[in-house]
Amino acid sequence: MIVSNWRKALLPILLSVVLLFSACSSKEPSKYAQVQKDTTGRNAPVAVAKNAEAGGDFNKFFPEGSAGYARVFSQEKKGFAEAKLNKGGKNVAVLSISDTSSLPAAAKKYEKSISKLNNYPLLDEPALKSTGVLVNNRFQVKVASRDPSFTAEDRQLWLQKFNLGGLSTLK
Amino acid sequence: MSKSIFELVDELPTGGLTVMSLNALDFVIPGQWQNIVGFDNTIKLVTGTDDPDYIQAIGERAVALYNDKREGYQTAMWLYNTVDSGSRLLGAAAIANKVGQKFSMLGFLGNITPKAETAQTIDLSVKLVAEIVAFCQINGIPGDSVGDFLAALGDYGGESLMRMAALVCFDGLIPLGPDFIGMVMDKMGGMSPKELEGNQTFKGIKDQIPGGDTGGKLGFITESFGSVSGWMSDFVSSRGLTPQTVVGNLRNFVEITDDKLDYLGAFLDVSTNYYSHTGTQTLARRLIERAAAEM
Repeated sequence: MIVSNWRKALLPILLSVVLLFSACSSKEPSKYAQVQKDTTGRNAPVAVAKNAEAGGDFNKFFPEGSAGYARVFSQEKKGFAEAKLNKGGKNVAVLSISDTSSLPAAAKKYEKSISKLNNYPLLDEPALKSTGVLVNNRFQVKVASRDPSFTAEDRQLWLQKFNLGGLSTLK
Repeated sequence: MSKSIFELVDELPTGGLTVMSLNALDFVIPGQWQNIVGFDNTIKLVTGTDDPDYIQAIGERAVALYNDKREGYQTAMWLYNTVDSGSRLLGAAAIANKVGQKFSMLGFLGNITPKAETAQTIDLSVKLVAEIVAFCQINGIPGDSVGDFLAALGDYGGESLMRMAALVCFDGLIPLGPDFIGMVMDKMGGMSPKELEGNQTFKGIKDQIPGGDTGGKLGFITESFGSVSGWMSDFVSSRGLTPQTVVGNLRNFVEITDDKLDYLGAFLDVSTNYYSHTGTQTLARRLIERAAAEM
């Protein structure tokens, strides 16, 4: 009788131990699992807005290379254009223009801006080593450092070299 | 369903024959390639940020961009995977389990056959065209002029340059010898569309090659090879590359006797997947660059 009770008590304990271990050994879902789910399948939203500006339309507003910096265009996709700034054969910064109509949160963050460049809101993001301005509440112009020698001041200097006025004429 | 970009980057191996054979090419482009693996790790290294919120936001944008088929990233990934014959002939996984030892090719000689010169010639040229098409799928056609576009192509570094170094060494110098560039140009120039059609690598990606019918595609492949032949010649001569120097470096981890050198190219072909390995790294880097800039 006692043996039987002991066995009865053991069974749930064993079961819970098994369950606990199997729960621990199963793979934790990735922190990107939700976005993966949201952006795949038949009704997935587009990643780039339908009315986004063609990336090639941005090229002419980029600064030319100068003072030992070579500018090399590196990406041109719908709503996005990017160029590298290389010095001595080494990539030191990236310049980019993007259409925030695909990613409204990118424009919204400029509400936190406390300074301006040519009257456009300016935002420095030290954690990303990047500085940007928002033109016409839509086009984000960014300079990001890729080498410690390229400072926050350099980023602002290169932002000023963009043809922001020209960019503002894009509809 | 195809794998997510974060899984593909997270699952890149840190060892095995592909990584060892690429490391053996460090002498070609010293210090320029690091085997960067892991999605978050790549975000950190590309952008320089340690901030978990930024990493998550950049990662999410990169995942969304990759998943939108219209953006071309999945086509590029497919191209890199398709031209890699790697695992399709030999059990690459079985070989990869031997990490840490020196591989002896002798055990595999029964399973591999050196490719005929024509097949290898087509493989090399088609891989090069796949590179150009994948570049355009990932990056678009940057700039406003042909000069801008060539400058973008010429700015290859890191894993992209390593892929080209491996193409030159593993698909050019080793299987075809020191005069492979002239030989490929001659062979491609005299090739019939029918010969091209019979090639497996070409069949795999032909729909993505510009040019219309097979004759037009053959023209595109031949012209593409011709247009980078100067770059390749410079690459080979400025670094003093010969089949012997490459084999010498591979001997650090593959046991191979001089009378079996013919088999080395075939062995690398079936036991490594350097195109998809470095292609995944290239794609992840460009995607993350874009995601970080758009945020």
